[in-house]
Amino acid sequence: MVAGRQKCLVCLALRRWLRGIVILGICLKRRIEIGILYSRSGSYQLVSDACRMGAMRAIADINADRSSGIELVPVERDPQSNADRYATLCEDIFRTSSARHVVGCVTSWSRKETIPVLEKAGGMLWYACPYEGFEANEHVVYMHACPNQHLVPLMAHVVPRFGANGFLLGSNYIWGWEMNRVARDLIADAGGKVLGERYLRIGETDVSRLIAEIRATRPNFILNNLIGTSSYAFLAAYRDLAAEDVAFSPEACPVISCNLTEGELPAIGESGKGHLSVGPYFAPRPAAFASSFEASAYASVQVMADVLSRDPDAGPAEFSKVFAEQRFSTRLGPIAIDAHSQHATLPVIIGRIADGFFEVVSREDEVAPDPYLSRYDPAKTFGRPRLRVVS
Amino acid sequence: MSKVPRIPNLGGARAFVLHRPHPTVQAITRQLSAIGLETVGCWPELPAEVLAADFVFFDADLGFDEQFPWKPGEAPMPMVALIGSEAPGRIEWALSHQADAQLLKPVGNAGVYSALLIARQSFEARKLQASEISSLRLRVAERQTIVRAVEALSKGAGDGRAYAQLRSLAMSWQISVEEAARRIVAMTEEEGGDDQSHRA
Repeated sequence: MVAGRQKCLVCLALRRWLRGIVILGICLKRRIEIGILYSRSGSYQLVSDACRMGAMRAIADINADRSSGIELVPVERDPQSNADRYATLCEDIFRTSSARHVVGCVTSWSRKETIPVLEKAGGMLWYACPYEGFEANEHVVYMHACPNQHLVPLMAHVVPRFGANGFLLGSNYIWGWEMNRVARDLIADAGGKVLGERYLRIGETDVSRLIAEIRATRPNFILNNLIGTSSYAFLAAYRDLAAEDVAFSPEACPVISCNLTEGELPAIGESGKGHLSVGPYFAPRPAAFASSFEASAYASVQVMADVLSRDPDAGPAEFSKVFAEQRFSTRLGPIAIDAHSQHATLPVIIGRIADGFFEVVSREDEVAPDPYLSRYDPAKTFGRPRLRVVS
Repeated sequence: MSKVPRIPNLGGARAFVLHRPHPTVQAITRQLSAIGLETVGCWPELPAEVLAADFVFFDADLGFDEQFPWKPGEAPMPMVALIGSEAPGRIEWALSHQADAQLLKPVGNAGVYSALLIARQSFEARKLQASEISSLRLRVAERQTIVRAVEALSKGAGDGRAYAQLRSLAMSWQISVEEAARRIVAMTEEEGGDDQSHRA
């Protein structure tokens, strides 16, 4: 009886001691500040919010994970979709906190503005959005798709099904300019013609001229590199055009995008139905993440935390070494990050907009990044090159 | 002639970096690998395989003529000068090797891609220009031949008609006017020679 009582007391003491150790473990988690640089307002707020949501969810999950030895502390700044504020706010994060890693930026314009600050401070940017390629900065980890993971496979899918003549649209900054430049080459390689190329300033919603030109030139597809509210206005007007003329229905002449995700479908509504987009993730039902932006930002924090939990002071050189040796298990699936270009190997999924979600049209797993399109092969992309009349 | 922009095909290209072991070489190698090129570092000599290289990056600070298996200005591939010291003598030397592009040292996170594209375009333009100049020189050297051919063809007709006939012959033989003139002169000389031999 006494022995049993003693046993119970020992058990109780042991349990309390273990609980104490766990609590102590949580308290002893190393605190690491990380920057969050996403706009909370402005014309591309929906995308920005999706990225921020992914980063914040990952931070919360890592902090709640008792087996993780680190606690991530977000240091947040809001550039309000003003490209000129990203660099100064990134500088502010580095100056006022111990953060050396920043998850942030949506537009390439803002990323390029931020790079000099990162280089000066020895910081790293985790970039969770698709971009136009032709960049490989060792202070940036590119966690979303580059052209061989979005535009090239999307065009390879569209050309044999709809035709090679395209109309190119873009918001008036580097994403639209560079994406359309690559698209011009792809269309030429496919034996098609660029029937028009038009740009709108970011936030512009008057699309009547674009619609009139598309109506007049009758392309086989429209490559949409407009962003935010311009894109929503265009898709709404294009739906009206399709109602007048079936030649502009999604089945005959789709609008194809490399950056359109579920996060924007509520703003687009019925206008998006049937059109195509490409990305590394489309939300299944039920979905862990609402969009590839959210999933990619989540994966960014996961990979960063994985390395920082072992080496809290890791900078670009240390990350590069880890990238050369390790694959990461993320919510995007298992991914590798190319140590030279710091771009992620990703799935390439083409999706068609259905009722508030994307139905998967095709999927290819583990596509290695080729940000400079150095391995691009027209014959492989579009089949046998078409013969052209040489005069 | 306007050049249609193209997706630059650099995958699998080989670049030789002629520079002593240095962080500059690492920075260039990192960028070249990210772009998709294979890099070979060497110093102080370029190996024989360099003749098959697609690009050569060379140190303008410590470089010298004997490092290259070709005469200054006759590199068979685009050349990129790596310039640290902007001493006029060193720049002059880099220019004597017809550097098609340049990169300033220390090399950071960017610059290699634009250097590759600029070097390749400059090199191609230089090659095309050299070939055009050589062809024009040949044509200028054949002026005398054309005069003699027109003279031979103008028996009984004016120079204008004779020149038109020469051009028409060149077109039907599908050769240049100069080549046609050479043939006519040769034929005329042959006939003349035959005549002389007949006379003899």
